[in-house]
This record gives sequence, structure tokens and C-alpha cells, in this order.
Amino acid sequence: MSQPQAIPELDLQSTISKNRLLGIFRMLKGFRLRYLGAVTSLGVSATAKTLTYMLLRYFVDTYFIAQDKTIGLIWIALGFVGLAAVEGGFTFLSAVLASQTAEGITRRLRNYLYDHIQHLSFTYHSKNKTGDLIERSTSDVDALRRFYSDQAISIGRIILLFTINFITLINLNARLALYSIIVIPLILIVSMLLFKKVSAAYESYQEQEAALSTTLQENLAGVRVVKAFSRQFYEIEKFEKDNWEKFMRGKKLTLMDSLFWPFSDILCSGQMLAGYIIGATMAINGEISVGTYLAYAGLVVYIIYPLRNLGRIIVQTSNGLVSYGRVMDIIKENREPLDQGDYLPSGSLQGKFEFSDVKFEYEPGDHTLENITFTVKPGQAIALLGSTGSGKSTLVNLLPRFYEYTGGSILLDGIELNRYPRKYLRQQIGIVEQEPFLFSRSIRENITYGVGREVSDTEVESAARAAAIHDVILTFQDGYQTLVGERGVTLSGGQKQRITIARTLLKNPRVLILDDSTSSVDTETEAEIREALQNLMKNRTTFIIAHRIQSITDADLILVLDKGRIIQSGTHHSLINQSGIYQQIFNIQTRIEDELEKELAIGG
Amino acid sequence: MADNYFEEEEFHTKFDGKVFHRILSLTTPHLKWLIGFLVTIAGVAVLDSISTWLSKRIVDDGIIAGNTEVLTRIMIMYAGLILLQSACMFLFIYLAGVLGERIRYDLRKKMFNHLQALSLNYYSKTPVGWIMARVTSDSERVADLVTWGLVDSTWAVMSITTSMIFMFIINWKMALIVILLLPLLLYIAIQFRKRIITSYREVRKTNSKIVGAYNENITGVRVIKALGREKENLQEFSGLTEKMYHSAFRAAWLSGLFLPTVQIVSAFAVGMVVLYGGYQAQIGMMTIGGIQAFVSYITFMMWPVQDLARVFADMQQAIASAERMFSLIDSQPQIIDRPRAIDPGTIKGDIIFDHVTFAYEKENKPVLDDFCLHVKRGETIALVGPTGGGKSTIVNLLCRFYEPVSGKIYIGGRDYTSLSLQAIQSRIGVVLQTPHLFSGSITENLRYGRLDATNDEIIKATKVIGAYDFIMHFEKGFDTEVGEGGNLLSVGQKQLLSLARAVLANPEIFVMDEATSSVDTLTEALIQKGMQTLLESTTSFIIAHRLSTIKKADRILVIENGRIAEIGTHNELLRLRGKYYQLYTRQFRTQLEAAYNPFEELSKVS
Repeated sequence: MSQPQAIPELDLQSTISKNRLLGIFRMLKGFRLRYLGAVTSLGVSATAKTLTYMLLRYFVDTYFIAQDKTIGLIWIALGFVGLAAVEGGFTFLSAVLASQTAEGITRRLRNYLYDHIQHLSFTYHSKNKTGDLIERSTSDVDALRRFYSDQAISIGRIILLFTINFITLINLNARLALYSIIVIPLILIVSMLLFKKVSAAYESYQEQEAALSTTLQENLAGVRVVKAFSRQFYEIEKFEKDNWEKFMRGKKLTLMDSLFWPFSDILCSGQMLAGYIIGATMAINGEISVGTYLAYAGLVVYIIYPLRNLGRIIVQTSNGLVSYGRVMDIIKENREPLDQGDYLPSGSLQGKFEFSDVKFEYEPGDHTLENITFTVKPGQAIALLGSTGSGKSTLVNLLPRFYEYTGGSILLDGIELNRYPRKYLRQQIGIVEQEPFLFSRSIRENITYGVGREVSDTEVESAARAAAIHDVILTFQDGYQTLVGERGVTLSGGQKQRITIARTLLKNPRVLILDDSTSSVDTETEAEIREALQNLMKNRTTFIIAHRIQSITDADLILVLDKGRIIQSGTHHSLINQSGIYQQIFNIQTRIEDELEKELAIGG
Repeated sequence: MADNYFEEEEFHTKFDGKVFHRILSLTTPHLKWLIGFLVTIAGVAVLDSISTWLSKRIVDDGIIAGNTEVLTRIMIMYAGLILLQSACMFLFIYLAGVLGERIRYDLRKKMFNHLQALSLNYYSKTPVGWIMARVTSDSERVADLVTWGLVDSTWAVMSITTSMIFMFIINWKMALIVILLLPLLLYIAIQFRKRIITSYREVRKTNSKIVGAYNENITGVRVIKALGREKENLQEFSGLTEKMYHSAFRAAWLSGLFLPTVQIVSAFAVGMVVLYGGYQAQIGMMTIGGIQAFVSYITFMMWPVQDLARVFADMQQAIASAERMFSLIDSQPQIIDRPRAIDPGTIKGDIIFDHVTFAYEKENKPVLDDFCLHVKRGETIALVGPTGGGKSTIVNLLCRFYEPVSGKIYIGGRDYTSLSLQAIQSRIGVVLQTPHLFSGSITENLRYGRLDATNDEIIKATKVIGAYDFIMHFEKGFDTEVGEGGNLLSVGQKQLLSLARAVLANPEIFVMDEATSSVDTLTEALIQKGMQTLLESTTSFIIAHRLSTIKKADRILVIENGRIAEIGTHNELLRLRGKYYQLYTRQFRTQLEAAYNPFEELSKVS
């Protein structure tokens, strides 16, 4: 089979159109000839089919009745086989070309969407639900694929069949031909109306199916609760209700279906019968030959029955159009340009930051960050302390340009931050998140994820050792090849975090962002994580998002944030001697120790 | 995603007569419907062949004979045929369709009811996605086999048979040619179908990988951006879509080649009919209508052949589905009522763990090892210790979610295996760390604890544990929908509701497994106060991190490696300066830090 190995490049943003059919046509770019070929092949194949009946006519009228044997029987027989071969060959060719087109477009669309989504900004992702994006990238893309591979082609086929055969019929006998299409508009309308009803019944059936799945899923997930309250009978009744409802809706759907087919069948067959009667009468009266009648009886089928399907397909096609709109909603968003920026250093960063009067707002006027001014020397550790929503996460998100600051200036090694390409910044900055995200791949792949170069096993292991996770990994059956996630091992929060630390060690960034969440980790592993973090912070400018005071006493600079502003800054020593929040927090520690003493005194 | 993954399991089942017989027996309760659609579909097939026969007569006896009278008669018959056929068509679609729905309903019901009886050990080793796939897609596949599968094969066999009969009537020699062709057609069709099915399965598998890739790409977008891995990701993904392209294309061209191939084979038959029929006609053995009928019968033959091939290929999948479904239905619950199990009306009394040993899997190291404990009626027992030490196992055994491998558990002086499960479980109130709610309103969820509870009782229960206020803060109060699995509420809120649900059940034994881990300290204190009376009147087991909860217990057990490491009251254990002392001091610090930290935003319940 010949297949296009490379897909024609196309920026799908250029195909966006308000007119959805136009947009769908634009998406064909690069495949148009192929698609035209598919339709043309269908035409050839339909013509061959028509010619078969014309050959039958010739066979009956000339060879059989008139006994004119200029063309031998063997040639007529071969003619039938030959026409069938042409018909079959071109049907096949059309299928090949159409599927190459549809699958090619879909492949291009999938790749584009995938890349597009990973290039959309943080702002976009925080606004959109994962489930919705996935739905659009899969089901809607598939609906579009069906549009190209089945629906559009089917419509083309039906129109071609109708046109070619109708023209042939007119040539055979115009009056007969016209009598044969009287009820066709009716067939089309009735089948569309009926099919709409079938579709509606189908949708309601699907809804109930979803409801039933939810009931089932909740029951299975809550099996301990069901057993704990011994509510098995209650659950059985609940499921029975949904299950029965699905049966009833299924019954209704079946009824619609069982009415649609015979009803449209009566219309089609009635039309055909009328044609037979007229044709046969004309044949008896000698207006047409017997062969003509036979050809007519064969061809008329291809005018009437396909039109019943046309109604159905038109209804289905509207799904493809809706899906086009839903997919384009994603595509019309602009990507975050990774390479944009005019300053690209040849080597690594130093890690010196000068913030002056930096401002950031998600929406105009929301004061997410304001008046942020401080300076960091290369290799220093800066701790950010503040409540949820104080702006500390937003502040560190400015560094890799996940968000663009809206005012003031950030100088990195003396150059304005937004002159660096995002890609470069992200290579130079390492992030250890509070809730680390691991991919469902092997542990090794997770450690080397995003490092961007070949990494030897020894390197991976030494990073894992430094992150205090090597020993844990070895306890798994498949060691470093163990899969993470649903189909592999479930890792604890602390283990995940240490894998992220190993990954960051391998990446070896100059600047580090640490979300220090050791408080959520088992106390036993806390010391190990702390050690791993110490290894990581060596010689790197580090921004720590702190949740507890103990972990930041060594920081070179502590910024206390509240409502997007810096309310206190300095070292641990300078801050405990100032009255303010920091001192309060610190004093709590001493208070805790006192209270503990008291507690133990009562107990002991 | 998981669900797709479990649906696309490999099928390598050989034809198994027993399973097939069991599948067919699913229709026995609805035999009338089965016979109904079999008769009507057979009717459709026979009428199809007759209408071709009538077409022949139109030509031979009407047109060529020039007999208008006969023609009129034939046409009237034809019209009657159309009506009769439509009626048959309506009946078979309706009967088979409804029967299909009914069998799906039966299967789901059977599986669901059986699932309710299965023990937790089944659930712990069977992923939810796997069970879901059995109840949803496998039941469809099997129901399709006994309805549409039977429809298609009956129709196919009937139309081939009747066509053959008519062909033999018209010209038996030519009919012999056709009959020789049939096996070839069938062979080709089956070979095609098999390959088409495999290639579509490949497509679905790749598709679920693509869905998975999108899922990771979207949920992990922050990490991907931070690590700048966009390019490699796209490269990997392009590999997937390329694979998809090839398998989808293969499936498409195979399907596209199928019909033309069958068509060409039958065209040879048509050619032979023309050749031979033309020759026979010259010696007066064959009419024009006869030739036309032969051509129609042969060209039509590819449809039943195609249907037969499809049923044959689908059947293998359906049998594999049925096997998995039957394996679910046949699995035996591990924990069942013993013969003559009784419900004594109450299970109040002492609880004794007598040399209990337990392992979740026989070959594994025991989680509990020779565990002995005597709990007096009304006592409150706190269980502390590291994760995996065996705390939850003790609770699981007590609730009889599992039974000891060796040793005995006595409740109220009776070996608890002599009691019915209902007797025990309906009198134990369990609150779990991961609270599970069901879709529906808050009231509906609370009433789960006691189905006949009045509204006043429900309100009282929520007041006891301090959930009343946050519920009333909702616009719809107690009628607020909690969403699927309770996902419209916070974890803390869900914990409070599941606590209230257990309180409402009025249990004789109360079990809390980290039941309040996600509510803030203030609410926790309220719960403590509210539940004081309840805890005093019932025998309670509490697993908790919160010190305030533990401190008041009558006895505290430090569980480690399946054994009791330390046991005593709070003060006794502190004096020991052992494991409890360490645990306590460490948690005391973290807890107070959290309580005092002006920055730590607690997940406030209201």
C-alpha cells in the first residue's frame, strides 16, 4: 500500500473560519487532490455499475431476443466480470484515498492539538478543565475524522449514484425516469424527521447509560461503606431503578428504530413497485424493450434506497460541524512563544536577580503582586513566607516566565528578564513542586524526564542516591524499570518528591525553585528529604516557598508576603529582633516547647 | 485511561461449547421473544427470495408473454409482499432489540447483585475499572451475540437456503455452480473479518494510549513547561499518531477491499451464468427472467455471506467477554454467613481477640501475628502506630470485612463467625478516612445510616458532630446535592457527613479510622464534645493522629509490625518514655505549629 509517510505541514490556525464548512474545507489542504481522487474513483465505480445493467440490456435485447451474435457470449460474460473488476477496483481505490485523507488530516490535527495544548499559557490551563480538553481532543477529533472518512464521502457517493443513474434512466426513457422520483423528496424528508427522533431517543438512552455507570462506579468505589452499613439491599434497589430505566429507554429506542426502517422501506418499495408497474406496462405495450425494463429494474434501486441513507447522514453530519467548532475553540488560542526573546547567553546563568517595583495582575486591578523590590546574589537562598494567596507562588512563577510581570523590572544577571527566551530560562531553572507530578512511565524515565540528553545508569543512580531514593527504588521488583501510577507502584508523597529532586539534580539548573512541603511528609523521611534538598541547593540561587519557619533559618534573605506585598524582609536574625509576624511565628515555637513540657509534666 | 484499558484486554479464547451453551441459556426466560424474532427474521429472508422470484415472473409471465392480467396479479402479490415484509421487519427489529435490552438488563442485575455479596478481598485484588468493563461492555457484547448475532445468522442461513431452492427450481445445473461457489465466498469473508477485527482492536488500543497521552500532557502541563520538554513530547506523541495512522489505515483498506473482493468473485459466477444460461436458453432451457433471477440471487448472496462471517468473528469476542463475565458471577464470596448463623438482637458486650493471626494474601507475611486483646463493653480503645503496622487490619477484622486466618474473635461472648454478617455490620458504625458519599442530596446521604430516620433525627445527628452549621450555610441546606462521590464538598465536609451518617445509625460498636483527619482543630474539638455521650455508651475503636482524640481513650495501643508494642493509658505510656512518648511529642509540636501558624490556612469546614 502506498502511504504518505510525511504529513503536509499546515498551521491549523490559518484554517479557522466562521463558516464551518469552509473551515473544514481549509483543513483539507495538502490532501485535496487525494480526496478529489477518492470522489472521482467513486464516480468511475458507479459508472461501471450502471454499465453492468446496460450490458445486461444489450445481452437480453440484442443477443437473446434479436439473436444478433456479432459479439460472442464469452465476450459478454467477460464484460460482466470486467465491469465488476472495474467497479470493485475503484471502490477500493476510493476507500484507500479517502482513508489516507481522513487519517492523514486526523493525524495532523492530533499532533497539532497536542503541541498546541502544551504551548498554551498557564492562564489558559488554570481556566480550563482537563476533562473538557481531553473530550475535545479525542471525541471531537474523532467526529471530524468520521466526517472526512464516512459522511462526506457517503454524501458524495449518494449524489454520484443518483446523478449517473438518473441520467442513464432519462436516456433509457425520460417519462419512466421522471415517474421514478416522485416520492423521493418525501423519502428524504421522512427519513430525516424519523432519524432525528431516533437520534433523540438514542441520546436519552446514552444519558441513562452514563447515570447507570455512575451508580455502579460509586457502589464499587464505596464498597466498604456499603458493607459497613450493610446496605446491600438498598444498593440493589437503587441499581435496579437505574437499570430498569435504561431498559425502558432502550425499549423506546428500539421502538423508534423498528418503526424507522420498515416505514421508510414501505415508501421506497412502494416507489419501486410503481416504477415496475409502469415499466412493465410500457414493455408490454412495446414502448420499451425487455432489456430496457431489466436495466431499469436494476438501476432504480440505486436511485431510491441511497436517498433514505442520505437523510440519516445529513443528521449525523451536523455532529461533525459541532465538533469542528469545539476543536477550533482550542486552536484559536495563541501559543506561548518559547523562543521569543532577543538575549540568548551562550553559557549558563550566574543567578543574580534584581527585582524593582515589580507588579503583576491576572486581571487588571487585582493587585496580585505589587511593589516587589529585592536583590539576590548568585548562589543565595531566598525564602518566601506567607499565607495561601499572599502571592509567593505567583512571584516564583514569574522567573521561568510562566506569567509575564505587568510592571516594574526584573534584571537577571543585569539583563531584563523578558529579553531571555522562555526556553532558555526554563532550562536554567529547576522546580521541585509541592505536589510532584509523575508520569506513568518507569521510574528511570521519570528521573531522566526533561533532562534533554542521554543519561548513563550510573548517573541516574548517583542522582537517586543524592536524593535519598535509590534504596527505596531497589525494593521494587523491577527496580528502576518499575512503572509509576495505576498500572505500577503507588508512591508516597515523599517518595515522589525525592524522585523529582533526583530529576532536578540531573538537570543541574543554576536557579532553583523549591516548594518546601516537608510538613506533609511522614516524619520519618523528613530528615532524608532535608538532606536531599541540601545537596540540591548547593551553589544554586534558590527560591524557597516555605511553610514552616524551621526550614528557612539559614536563608540569606527572608521575604514575608501578605496580599501581594513584601511586609518584612531580612535574615532570620534580623527578623526575630523586629516586632512583626515573623517574630510572632518564631515565638510560637518557644511556646510550643513550653506547652509540651507542661503536658509531659501532667502525664509523668 | 483505565476503563478503556480494561475493555481492550486480549482475546485468545478458543471456542468453548460449555460457555456457548451458557450464553444461549440466557434467553430461556424469554423464549417467546426469541422464537418471535427468529420466525419473523426467517420470514424476511423467505419473502426476499420470493420477491426476486416474482421479479422473474414479471419478466417471463408478464412482459414476454404480454399478459397484462397476469402482470396485475403478480403486482398485487408484490404489494402484499412489501407490506408483509415491512410488518416482519418491524417485528424482528422490535423483538430482537427489546430482548437484547432485556438480556443486558438481566446480566447487569445478576452481576451487580452478585457483586454486593462478594467480600472485600475480591475488591482488593480486582480493579474497579475491570469490574466496570465486565458490567458495561461485556454484557453488551454477549447480549448482542444472542440477539443480533442470531438475527444475522438466521437471516443469512434462511436467505441462502431459500435462494438456493429457487435457483434449483429455475435451473438445477446452474444452481450447482453457485453452490460450489458458496464455501469459497464464506472462506474469503471469514478470513477478511478476522483480520479486520484484529486491526480495529489495534486501533482502539492505540486510541486509548492517545487518550492517556493527552491526559498526561494536560494534567502535567506545569511540569512539562518547567522542564521544557515540549519537543520530545511532541516527538513521542507523533510516534503514537503515526502508529494510529498505520493501524487505522490498515483497518480501512482491509474493510475497503472486502466487499469488492466478494463482488468480483460473484461476478465470475454471474459471468458463468450468462455463458451457461445463454447457451441453455438457445436450447430453450432458460428464460430471460430466469437469467435475471440468477443474477439477482448471486449478487445478493454476498450480503448473507458477509453477515455470517461477521457473526462468526464477533462470536469469538463475545465468548471471551462471556467467560470473563461468568468468572465474575462464579466467584465465591469469601466471607459468608455460616449455616445456622444467628442474629442475637444485640452485640453489646466484651470484644475479645484471641490469638488472631491474619494475612491479606496467604503467601505473605502476616499483618497481624498472634494478636490478643480483651476490650470491655463501653471501653474506648485508641490505636496508634506507623502506617502498615496493622491498625486498619484490626478494624477490618472487627467489622468482619475479613476473617482471621487463625485464632478467634468473640463479640458479646460469642465466636463472631456464629453470628450473621448482618447482625454484626448493622450494629457497627464505621467512619473511614477517605469518606465516600453517593450522588444525591445531603439528607439522602445521611439517611444511608438509618433508612427510616426522621428529619429531626437527621438534624440532631448533624448537630451532635457539629455539621449542622455548614449545611445550613448552603442555599439549599439539607437538599444540597453533593455531586458524584461527593466531589462538590471539601474532604473535611465529607468527613463530617460520613461521621453524622454513622452517628445516625445508632451503632453498638463505633469505629473511627482517621475519621477527622481533614477537619480543623476547632471543629475537631466540637466533634469531641458532641460525641462524648456516644463514645461513653458504645465500645469504640479509634485510629487517629489527633492527640486530643487519643488522650481521652481508656486504653491506647501502639501497634507495630502486627503486634502490640505498648499498651496503657495516656499517662502510663508517657511515663514509659517509649514509642508513644516519641510519637506524642513529635505530633504535639507539628500540631501546635499548625494551630498557631498565622499563615497556615486551615481547611475550614464552613
